[in-house]
Amino acid sequence: MVGYILRRIGTSVVVLIGVSFFIFALLHAIYPSPAIDVLGARANSALIAAWNKQNGFDDPWLVQYLHYMGNLVRGNLGYSYKLNQSVTALFGGVWARSAWLSGVSLVLAVLIAIPLGVYQAVRRNTVGDYVATGMAFSVYAMPVFFLGLILIQVFALDLHWFSFQGSQSSSLLSVVVDFHGMTLPVVTLTLLTVASFSRYMRSSAMDVLAQDYIKVARAKGLPERLVLMRHLLRNACLPMVTLIGLSIPTLLAGNLITETLFNYRGLGLLFYDALGNADYNVLLAYTLIGAVLTIIGNLVADVALTVADPRIRLA
Amino acid sequence: MMRKRVAGGLALVLAGVTALAACSGGSSSGGGGTSSAPGSNGSIGLLGQFGHVPAMAAGPEHAGTITVAAPPDSAPTWILPMVTGATNSVYTVPEFDYQMYRPLYWFVNGVEPTEVPAMSLASDPTWSNGDKTVTFTLKSAYKWSDGQPLTSKDVLFWWYLLKAALKESPANWAPYTPGLGIPDEVASISAPNSSTVTMNLTKAVNPTWFWQDSLGSVQPMPSHVWDIDATGGKAITDWATNPADAKKIYDYLAAQSKSVSTYATNPLWQVVDGPYKLTSFTPSTGAFTMAPNPAYGGPHAKVESSWQSVPFQSDAAEFNAVKAGSIDIGYVPLTDVPQIASLASSYNEFGYSDFGWSYVTYNFKDTTGDFNNIIDKLYIRQALAHLENEPGYIKAFFYGAGGQGFGPIPEIPKSPYTPPNALTNPYPYSPATAASILKANGWTVVPNGTDTCAKPGTGTGECGAGIPAGTKLEWNVIYNTSPAVIGEQVQDWASQAKTVGITMNLSTSNFNYMIANYNDPSSPKTVNKWAMEDFGGFTNSTYPTTFGVFNSAGSSNVGGYDDPQADKLITASISSPNPDAVTAEAQYLTQQQPSLFQPNPDDAFGTAAILVWKKSVSGTPQSFESLTQAYWNPEYWFFTK
Repeated sequence: MVGYILRRIGTSVVVLIGVSFFIFALLHAIYPSPAIDVLGARANSALIAAWNKQNGFDDPWLVQYLHYMGNLVRGNLGYSYKLNQSVTALFGGVWARSAWLSGVSLVLAVLIAIPLGVYQAVRRNTVGDYVATGMAFSVYAMPVFFLGLILIQVFALDLHWFSFQGSQSSSLLSVVVDFHGMTLPVVTLTLLTVASFSRYMRSSAMDVLAQDYIKVARAKGLPERLVLMRHLLRNACLPMVTLIGLSIPTLLAGNLITETLFNYRGLGLLFYDALGNADYNVLLAYTLIGAVLTIIGNLVADVALTVADPRIRLA
Repeated sequence: MMRKRVAGGLALVLAGVTALAACSGGSSSGGGGTSSAPGSNGSIGLLGQFGHVPAMAAGPEHAGTITVAAPPDSAPTWILPMVTGATNSVYTVPEFDYQMYRPLYWFVNGVEPTEVPAMSLASDPTWSNGDKTVTFTLKSAYKWSDGQPLTSKDVLFWWYLLKAALKESPANWAPYTPGLGIPDEVASISAPNSSTVTMNLTKAVNPTWFWQDSLGSVQPMPSHVWDIDATGGKAITDWATNPADAKKIYDYLAAQSKSVSTYATNPLWQVVDGPYKLTSFTPSTGAFTMAPNPAYGGPHAKVESSWQSVPFQSDAAEFNAVKAGSIDIGYVPLTDVPQIASLASSYNEFGYSDFGWSYVTYNFKDTTGDFNNIIDKLYIRQALAHLENEPGYIKAFFYGAGGQGFGPIPEIPKSPYTPPNALTNPYPYSPATAASILKANGWTVVPNGTDTCAKPGTGTGECGAGIPAGTKLEWNVIYNTSPAVIGEQVQDWASQAKTVGITMNLSTSNFNYMIANYNDPSSPKTVNKWAMEDFGGFTNSTYPTTFGVFNSAGSSNVGGYDDPQADKLITASISSPNPDAVTAEAQYLTQQQPSLFQPNPDDAFGTAAILVWKKSVSGTPQSFESLTQAYWNPEYWFFTK
C-alpha cells in the first residue's frame, strides 16, 4: 500500500508539472500579456511597456514559466496585480468558506442519497420510487441558478424564514453557526447533489440486489435489515466512493453560481473575476491547486475502495 | 457583466461592457421620457430620465449608517491618491479615494459633466503668458483632519512624488500620457505663498482641457504626515530638491497602499481632507465603512451619516437585497427593470445615461474584400448609420432606460460642449434612405442579397476610389457577448443591413480578447482578421475630446481611423485657446461617423442599471443623480426618520 501511494505521488508530480506547463502556455497563447486588459483599452504603448516590465511580461514566456515555477517551489503563488494582494492571501481569505459550503453540502447529500437510493432500489417501481425519481429528475434538470432563485423567492423573500444571502462574516466560526444565512445555499447544493448521487446509488443497489450472495443471504433466513445493511449497502456504496472522491476538487473550486447567487464570497467567484481580469497568477494558482485536489481525490478514492472492498488488490 | 470602467475625470476612459454598451431599461415610471426642462435641480424634467429624484426632504435630518450597494468585482484595491494603471477604476477612485482625498476640482454636478465650485479645493485657475502659465489658489475652508491647513506645499508634495513615481514606471499613474498634460508639459512648478500654486508650461495649451483633464486629476497629499520613508521614520523635508528622497517616500507610501489588509488601521490613511475617514475594510470582499470627517471644509448634510459599501457577488444577489429591503441605496439591473414597479412603495428610482459613447468600431486598415476602401467612404458610413434604429433599441433592448448617441458626445447628459448634431440624429433610422444612398453611389442594391459595385470610379455616382467593379458589400462583425444587449443591437443592425443587401457575417468574442487582438495599434498582425467590432464603449471626461481614440496616432485608435481634418480638430481641442474647439471636434466626428455610434443604457454605480434608494433616505437631488455618472456624494445623504 505504501509503495502504491508513493508511486501515485511520483506520477502526480509529473502530471502537475505537465498541467502547469500546459496552462501557462495556453494563457500566453491567448494573452501574451494581459497588460491591455489590466490597464484598459485607453492604455498607451508606454504604459503597456512599463507594466509589462514591472510584471515580468517582457521576458520570453519560457523564462517566465521557469520563474513562476521557481517561486512556486518556494511556496510563493505570486501576486495578483489586479487585486493588489498575494495570491496566498486571497486564497487564504476565502478557501475555508468555499470548503465549508461544498463540504457540508457533500456530506448531507451523501447522507441523504445513499439511503434514498437503497430505498428506491428495494422498493423499485413503487409510488415512493416514482415520486423520488420524479423529484430527482426535476431537480437534476433544473439549472442551479433557477433552483436557487426559487428557494430565495419562497423561503427568503416571501416567508422570511432564511436570509436571501449566505453568511457575510469573514470568520469561519460565524459562517458555521449562521444557519439563517447558510441554509438556502447549502440546501441548493445538497438538492442538486442528492439528485445525482441517488440515481447512482439506486442503480448500484439494484445491481447488488441481483447478486447471488444477496439471494443466499435471504435463503439463509437472514433478516432483511441485516441483508440490506451487511450485504447490500457496503457493496452498493463502492461506486459512490469514486464519485465522492471526484467531488473533492469542488471543495476548492467552490460553486460559482451558488456563491454568486447567494452573495457568498468564495474561491469560485475569485476564479471567475480573475478570468475577467486576465489575472494570471490567480488563474494559475487556482488551476494548479485544482489539479492537486483532483489527483488527491482520485488517490483517496482508490485507497478508500481497497478499504471498503478487500477483494481489490493494489498492484 | 464585465466592467472595465475606469475613473472619469482622468481623461477619456474606457467604459466597457457593463456600462455604455450594456443595457436595457423600460419605463414603468417614465423611462425614455423626452420632456426637456432644466436639470439644474436634478429632480424633474431631465431629458431622457427614468423615474425621478424627489426634492430633498424638508424635515429633520437623522444620522445613521447608510448602506450602499457595490456591484460585483468592485473592491477598491488602492488607497494612495495617485492611482496606478492596474488599480484604476471608478470603485477605487471616485467611490473610495475621493471620499478621503479630494481632487482639486470636482467635475460632476448631478447628471451634468460640469464643475461644482463649492466642492473644489481650489478656485478656478487663471491663465497668463499666452496660456503658458496657470495659477490657482487653494481655499482656506479645506483643512486636513488633524487640523493642519491644506497648503500649496501639499500640492507640490503630490507633484514631486508623481515625478518620482513616473520615473519608476509610467504605469504608476493611470491618467499619465507621455508628453501630454501633467507632468510632461509642465516646465516648472512653484508656490508663491501657502495657498497659491503656479505652473509654467512648456507650450500653450487649451486652458479648459488642461484644467479639466490635468488639474482635475491632482489630489493634494498631507505632506506634514506622509513625508517619511518608513513607519515611525523621521520627516524627510527635501523631497522637492532631492529626487532620491522623493522616490523613497513614494516607494514607502506605495508599499503601504499595497497592504490592503491595513487600510483601516494604518495611521497614514487617517489624515484626510475629504468628507470621510475609513473605519473598516475587509480585504477579501472589499466591504468598507466610512465615518464623517468632522474637519471637512466642504458642503455636506446638516447631520452627517456614516456609510457602508456592501459588496455583491452578482447583480442577481444585489437585486435580491433590494427586494428584501436590506440595502438603503442600490440598483436594479437593467434586465430586471420590468420588475421595478414592485419597489415603488419603498424605493425611489432614477435612471440616466452615463456621459460617453458606445460604438461599433470600423477597421479602416482591413483590406479583406477591399473593406478599407469601402469603409473610408463617408456615404457608406452614412448609409450604415441610417440602418441603426436607436429609439427602437432603447425601447426593445433597454426597456426605455437609455439615451441616444449619434457621436462621441451623446444626446444626454447635457454638456457645455454638446454640438447641435448630437441632439438630433443626423442619420435617422431609414433603410430606404440607406438604399438610396448606395444606389446613388454606383451600387446595385439587392434586398436580402448582397450588393455589388456596378459603377467603379471616382466620379459622381460612382463607388469611389479603390473599389473595383463587382466588389461586394460583405464583411465580418465581431461582437462582445456580454452584456447581451450588445449582441441584440448588432444582430438587429445586421438584419436591417441585409434588407438593403449588405451582408454582415457575425461572430462572437469577449471583451479581453477583443481589445487585445482586434486592435490595430497593439495587434497589427490581426489587422485583416476583422472589419467591425463592438466591444463596448468609452466614458468621457468632463472635457470630451476624443484624443487618443480618433486621432490618427491615437494609442486607442483601434480601427486606424485616419482623417487629417479630424486630427487638426482634435489637436486644437488640447492645444488651441479656442474654448469651442472640442465642440467643433465632436460636431465633425458626429458628421463623419468614424464608427457606428450607439445608444447608451442608463447607468448606476458604474453598471447598467437604474438607481434606487429607500424613501427613508434623502439628500440633495444632485447627490443621487451623480451616482448615474459613477460619482459618490454620501456627505449629502441623511435619514428622514
